[in-house]
Amino acid sequence: MDERLQKALDFSNYMVTLNNQKRVLQETVYQDLVYYTSGSKFTINKELICFCSTLANLNREAVVLIDDNDIPVRIENIKDFLENILDVYFTATNKFHSEYQKLKTSRSVEKLIEL
Amino acid sequence: MSQGVLVFARNNVEVDYVKQAYFLAKQVKKHLNLPTTIITDSGKYLRHEFNDYTTVFDNIIEIVWKESDLTKNTTLSKTEKHTYKRYHDGTLVEKKLEFKNETRTLAYDLTPYDETIVLDSDIIINNNLFKWCFEQPNDFLIYKNAYDLAGFRDYSEFDNISDTSVDFYWATCIFFRKTDTNKIFFDLVQHVQENWGHYKKVYQLNRVVYRNDHAFSIAIHIMNGFIPGREFAKEMPGKLYYSTDKDILFKIEDNEFLFLLEKEKYLGEYTPMKFKNHNIHVMNKFSLNRCIDEVLNV
Repeated sequence: MDERLQKALDFSNYMVTLNNQKRVLQETVYQDLVYYTSGSKFTINKELICFCSTLANLNREAVVLIDDNDIPVRIENIKDFLENILDVYFTATNKFHSEYQKLKTSRSVEKLIEL
Repeated sequence: MSQGVLVFARNNVEVDYVKQAYFLAKQVKKHLNLPTTIITDSGKYLRHEFNDYTTVFDNIIEIVWKESDLTKNTTLSKTEKHTYKRYHDGTLVEKKLEFKNETRTLAYDLTPYDETIVLDSDIIINNNLFKWCFEQPNDFLIYKNAYDLAGFRDYSEFDNISDTSVDFYWATCIFFRKTDTNKIFFDLVQHVQENWGHYKKVYQLNRVVYRNDHAFSIAIHIMNGFIPGREFAKEMPGKLYYSTDKDILFKIEDNEFLFLLEKEKYLGEYTPMKFKNHNIHVMNKFSLNRCIDEVLNV
């Protein structure tokens, strides 16, 4: 086979593998961004963080939030709740960042899957 | 309140579901610290092949064929007319084998636990996410959404049970508590199963083969008041990740898996993928068993 074509096909395989790894990594990060507390489930996003932050700044203490299953949940201390979701958020995004960096610097299929 | 995992394992001539259940029970112990009950028609084989079965399984419930054989920890087989389905081992190998899936509807009656997670034997538990099931207030959880590792395949068949029918739910992982409502639900699933010919017409299914996912989906639709929605059945924690039997599980190393995913439009070619720290449903039973052999022999 023409060497130029072989190189292009190798690169193409690398790109497919890289994109697959990126896609699944992103998907698993969504799962890491879920906070489970007192039998309820909250997907953490910027909107939830901003809302909780506003409530905390208004010195609200006990509030009712609606979880992912549309169930109202009484949160006794919104400041603790905010701290906890921030903790989960940064743990997930830091993990995302480090895994993403690893992918970015892996320049071959073998390195991408650490064979 | 007793808590545990229930797994059904009925071998056919080529697929060793008991071995998968044995591996699953070990993973359940490791990550969830829960006991596992196995329901099988291969009790003799289990006792012969796996010396430490008493420490791995909390209970063994055997399926028997005659009423006169019924004793404690046995259940009567619902039918001997099993269905056949195609099993792939990657994109190039295909076998038509017996598929004994009719006992799952008895989960409510057979479970020894107050709170039960029913799992397919081909699920690999890789974290403690399912612990949350026991902490939350809903009595019935099931997956509606699942995620295909390959990404490109059209699996709209997992959105609805047919193009013109109701929402699809995965009977692969279920959590339930022993409640009166759940008793009604499981009795209804058995009724749907027993009258499959009728329900598959009413719900416009064009497949002949009975499938638990479809029976559970129909029963959920009925329990929900014949409308779509999430009133009766809530979502299991996380997402159900799966690889189909056209993919190959190549290696299991601790919490990491190496998959060879079917390549789009290139029959017989694969793309490698590393997947870690999440639970996964591996539909290629042959490659799963090969990997379990490797792990258990180490």
